[in-house]
Amino acid sequence: MSGVLVIARKELKQLFTSPIAYVALAMFFLITGFLFFSLIGVYTSQVLQLQGPPPSDFDPTRIIFSPLFQDVSFVLILLVPILTMRLVSEEDRARTMELLATSPVTSTAIVVGKYLASLALFAVLLAISAYMPLSLAVMGRLDWGLLAASYLGLVLLGGAFLAIGLFASTLNENQIVSAAIGFALLLLFWVLGFAQQASGSAVQQVLSSLSFSTHFSNLASGVVDTQDIVFFLSLAGFFVFLGVLALESRKWR
Amino acid sequence: MIQADSLSRSYGERWAIRDVSFQAREGEILGFLGPNGAGKTTTMRILTGFLAPTSGRASVAGFDIVDNPMEAKRRLGYLPETPPLYDDFTTREYLSFVARLKRVDRRKIGDAVDRAMSMCGVEEVAGRLIRNLSRGYRQRVGLAHAIVHDPQVLILDEPTSAMDPRQIVEIRKVIRGLRGNHTIILSTHILPEATALCDRVIIINEGAIVAVDTYEQLAARLRSSEKTLVRTARAPADLAARVGRVPGVLHVAPGSGRGEWVVEAALGQDVREHVARAVVEAGAGLLELRPLAMSLEEVFLKLVTHEDDAAADGEREGARA
Repeated sequence: MSGVLVIARKELKQLFTSPIAYVALAMFFLITGFLFFSLIGVYTSQVLQLQGPPPSDFDPTRIIFSPLFQDVSFVLILLVPILTMRLVSEEDRARTMELLATSPVTSTAIVVGKYLASLALFAVLLAISAYMPLSLAVMGRLDWGLLAASYLGLVLLGGAFLAIGLFASTLNENQIVSAAIGFALLLLFWVLGFAQQASGSAVQQVLSSLSFSTHFSNLASGVVDTQDIVFFLSLAGFFVFLGVLALESRKWR
Repeated sequence: MIQADSLSRSYGERWAIRDVSFQAREGEILGFLGPNGAGKTTTMRILTGFLAPTSGRASVAGFDIVDNPMEAKRRLGYLPETPPLYDDFTTREYLSFVARLKRVDRRKIGDAVDRAMSMCGVEEVAGRLIRNLSRGYRQRVGLAHAIVHDPQVLILDEPTSAMDPRQIVEIRKVIRGLRGNHTIILSTHILPEATALCDRVIIINEGAIVAVDTYEQLAARLRSSEKTLVRTARAPADLAARVGRVPGVLHVAPGSGRGEWVVEAALGQDVREHVARAVVEAGAGLLELRPLAMSLEEVFLKLVTHEDDAAADGEREGARA
């Protein structure tokens, strides 16, 4: 366990001393900030068009935050590979993997430590993004249950994305290539949902239950289903495990 | 301390090393000598657990590196050919991280880092980013990282590469200072380094061990005759003939320098006394008389380049003299 923490601590220190973390955070807040701003515009125009008392399904949380979090999940497809690309690739390039691999820490501790560090960075990102609902909460009432479900969805989604990005990083010592592989894998898991119309019903069901978008949109619409939670957790676990295998297999190649 | 039993490693079809066995005793410095691509780095990577052997076993401080890697790695310091440094850390931050990674007791980390820094002479760059260090300092920080947890076994892959001669002398002093408390394996393709540092030398070529011994023993084993260099002030015409008549002398040949002769005698025969008398009696004016030892370079070449013909051998020795 202590090995995991030593690695995670080092990784966080490197993440926050390199420009990548800041560039990624800035990119994320620029895009989500703009989306938030334009969705408030949508909401405002809907309020102005209201005649009489608002209908029962007129809910600012649903109008602003449901589409916002859908968009955020897509931004994460682009962002996460950038956060994870250097995790292992950079150690390979700088030959520092030789230090980690010849130290008394297991491959599992190395991968899990790196994974935890990237999760921590992601948690920082989500924590800062909370300014959006909080700024509206000052002025009105929000549906906190829906927001909590959406944030749970983002944490789970991010956890799975980071695991996939980390695995991609173990495959190559070039950061750009790692980012590209990570991006391709994430996009693949996303578009699996699009195949629904194209194929037969049995295949369709398998594909759509493997897709991020299906499971995330449940959570983002306020439905907390253990099925979705288990999906994201097992996906994250599976790719962390693949990452460990990738490191371990290097000894034998 | 270190035990390797018929280690082999293949990369696909190619064998990097084949059937390599040796052991290093406690407190000795063992040199790994061989041309580039001979399998030195592969062997070291197996000993450190970075690579798994295709077959064979290795143990460090009594712990098998495949079956019990955690215990073996705790007792092991390894400096790869490229020092594994994190550019965005300062020297002190980096060494503290390594100490934590190597499971140094948390309260002792500060002392361990200070000790390693002073041994390797990197205190003056303790607060500098590793990115900004010169190659010599990087190499020394690399050495410091390998000894920060005071390991019983140190494995150094070409520790003096990329350093200027003054730094090489300093690093050798550090390595010599570590002898006794640590068992050290170091690889090099620089021959004088092996002579200067190592108690025993393993010569490895094309993935197989060619010889293991002290340098003196190796030289002695490869010698086919006792050679003595004689330098005289003058060269009377009958000098060679007179010396050649000394009992035991097999052959007298002119050496490369002015007034130099190489006198060959049968193995185990010391003819120096009689040769000296013969030279003096000839009135040649004896200036110098010394046994010609094979340099490690010659030993190495002889071992690595299979069968040399005697003529080429003699030429080399003459050239050196």
